[in-house]
Amino acid sequence: MKQLIPITLRINGVVHEILAPPWRTLLEVLREHLGLTGAKRSCQEGQCGTCTVLVDGNAINSCLYLAVEAQGKEIQTIEGIAQDGVLDQIQKSFVQKGGIQCGFCTPGFVLATKSLLNANPHPSEDEIREAMVGHLCRCTGYVQIVEAIQDAAIQMTREGAN
Amino acid sequence: MGYLRRLPRFEYLAPHSTAEVCAALAERGNEAELLAGGTDLLLQMRRRETSPRYVVGLKGVAELSGIRPRPDGGLAIGSTTTMHSLLSSPVVREKYAVLAEAASGIGGPELRNVATVGGNLAGALPCADLPPALMTLGATVTLQSSSGERTVPVDELFPQFGSTVARPDEVLTTITLPSVPFFSGGAYLKFHDRQSMDMTTVGVSAFVTWDEASRVFRDIKIALASSAPVPIRMRKAEAVLRGRSYAEEALEEAALVVCEEADPRTSWRATREFRFDLLRGLTKRAIRRAREQASPTIGESS
Repeated sequence: MKQLIPITLRINGVVHEILAPPWRTLLEVLREHLGLTGAKRSCQEGQCGTCTVLVDGNAINSCLYLAVEAQGKEIQTIEGIAQDGVLDQIQKSFVQKGGIQCGFCTPGFVLATKSLLNANPHPSEDEIREAMVGHLCRCTGYVQIVEAIQDAAIQMTREGAN
Repeated sequence: MGYLRRLPRFEYLAPHSTAEVCAALAERGNEAELLAGGTDLLLQMRRRETSPRYVVGLKGVAELSGIRPRPDGGLAIGSTTTMHSLLSSPVVREKYAVLAEAASGIGGPELRNVATVGGNLAGALPCADLPPALMTLGATVTLQSSSGERTVPVDELFPQFGSTVARPDEVLTTITLPSVPFFSGGAYLKFHDRQSMDMTTVGVSAFVTWDEASRVFRDIKIALASSAPVPIRMRKAEAVLRGRSYAEEALEEAALVVCEEADPRTSWRATREFRFDLLRGLTKRAIRRAREQASPTIGESS
């Protein structure tokens, strides 16, 4: 049984070449091999959403995804969302609307919002809540998170119009 | 449920074609698991319910994914087509709405972006939502091995709890849907405790073909999730309604026969008795909804 295999991952536009066993999940590689600890380990069964990353623009649970299978794909983590130290509009909206408290769930929510707004720039409140069902937040009660996503959608539409 | 540990060790195989998958299974099928989306398998491996020596990854087999129309008016769905892709297909949403209805209730977006149609079948879980919907649509699956391929109706795919009739050297490649008749429609209704991200307590799929001239059920198919050790067709209940006109007594009669045919278990999620209560109500509701979809003149005679 081969213990270590070469795995090439393109994360936030940067190519990383590592040696890891094939039974490592994408989450384990991000956190333990590459030090990208924005994606969190929590339920480990696809219920809580704290490990969410984008693979080719789609939100997935990185705890249920083998690192070896993420090769050749464009991976985005929370570390790659702010550009040159400037927060992304989704991050700004979460801060301004109080959608962030302890912060543990926030990377997952921000990336899920990015995935949602890519596909649907003007979601209704129901569509927002439906898109966030795979994310648990124990602080906010979700109201501020929904408001943050609504705000992000409005601000991004304005930016696009200007 | 079992304690979640890190994944056990395995050797990872990455075939690029169905032929390569079959070759790998011919050699190592008894010691291998096929990995499609992974939302079930990786959890089972974490719980040490299975510790395969080889994991055959299917994400790189492009020909196993995608939705194609068939010359006979039906649809061929590649087994590694994700729930998200299925729901993004206009033809699925318009012509096979019952399948879209079943898929849309599975997990959340993150899971639907990776969970596959074939995985929902091959996992052979009684609580899977797609098997009942596919049974009522008359779907078949193609099982392929290096020695050939065979077609199996979804009705006959599950011989007993937790298994399919697929041999260790076979891979499920395609789900084939027949064309839908005129004046037909379906509904999939499920009960679960939470609004979302929950397993199905019971699920009922009904597909009605309505005889618009005689105003009777020309045909009806009913199938259930989480109501027996396997996903199951309700042939006796279907026979009750075939050729009958639409009346509450007929639906009630069919619902009672469903409760005779079904064999739900008591689990921490729900008792057997509660599941019977749910089945009785959901069966009638699913048939009503399916019949509304099937006939544009609903309400005139009922």
